[in-house]
Amino acid sequence: MKITLVKKIKADGSPCQKCRDISDRLEASDQMKLIHQVIIADEANPASPGMLLASELSVNRAPFFVVEHEGGRREVYTVYFKFVKEILNQITSEEEELAEIMHDNPDLDYI
Amino acid sequence: MSITENDVNQWASDYKDKSPQDILTLALEAVDNIAISFSGAEDVVLVDMASKIKKDFQVFTLDTGRLHPETYRFLDQIREKYGVQIEAMYPNADQIEKFIKEKGYFSFYQDDHKECCSVRKIGPLRRKLETLDGWITGQRKDQSPGTRTNVPVAQVDAAFAGPSGQLLKFNPLANWSSEQVWAYIRANDVPYNDLHEQGFISIGCEPCTRPILPNQHEREGRWWWEEATAKECGLHAETNKS
Repeated sequence: MKITLVKKIKADGSPCQKCRDISDRLEASDQMKLIHQVIIADEANPASPGMLLASELSVNRAPFFVVEHEGGRREVYTVYFKFVKEILNQITSEEEELAEIMHDNPDLDYI
Repeated sequence: MSITENDVNQWASDYKDKSPQDILTLALEAVDNIAISFSGAEDVVLVDMASKIKKDFQVFTLDTGRLHPETYRFLDQIREKYGVQIEAMYPNADQIEKFIKEKGYFSFYQDDHKECCSVRKIGPLRRKLETLDGWITGQRKDQSPGTRTNVPVAQVDAAFAGPSGQLLKFNPLANWSSEQVWAYIRANDVPYNDLHEQGFISIGCEPCTRPILPNQHEREGRWWWEEATAKECGLHAETNKS
């Protein structure tokens, strides 16, 4: 299994806050060593590796994880807590999961 | 469920210019275990449309515990008029108790609405969606500047999952304007929430909803103390920006 983390740099050159938060969490939990590759999706450069990968996989948000299994099957995770729960077998709290969903999906405001 | 992501993407393309009734028909016919999410506001048009397409359909609502009395009365009115059960989903009692104990009843005015919404709405929503293969929302592109410009009429839900691990989401009103919704309500004599007669356009929880003035965007009647277009996690190539 190979895990790729795609982090975003915003069009104005500033780093994405959630990408930074996720990196901090992975470092703090000593899980960054389980990530095989970190690549950048630079919104100002559509040819950057992360933007190309997002386009190839039809992903429209970042950060995201790509998990490549034996045999080449790939899974995309755009929800951090889902990724750490399912792939890294980390125990997560429901509050953390719900907060991430709410943060990442402003369209849910009007449900 | 044997519907693939490619099928859904094809529907999104094929139905993007079709009527809400066509999209709703597709959703109700393609997915057996599907429900309409009804907020007690303008999305009542979905209930009216569904009642003309199919006799039996599921409807649920998220009762946050902070809705207006008018909204509760309206939910009962719709239940009676259309003869449908409206399943109310409630927040987890332990989580609410903890939240209120730590932050009080109005912390969203100091922080923002997300933490409260995650406990009162998103938790119950996820619990309901875990039982479904698909859901139908009243989301429209014109509801909020910035955050809803990419609402497709059909999609695989990336945030939630049903029992099979996949959840489909249909947004039949995605391309309708508020004006079109209200034209439908008037033309079809659809009941509406009494709050609309008091200047409310978008209706949610009582503390986070207010009436607006003529020509204000409906978003200004919700979470008005926050930045309306805050958006962080989308991935947008600069060259594609308009």
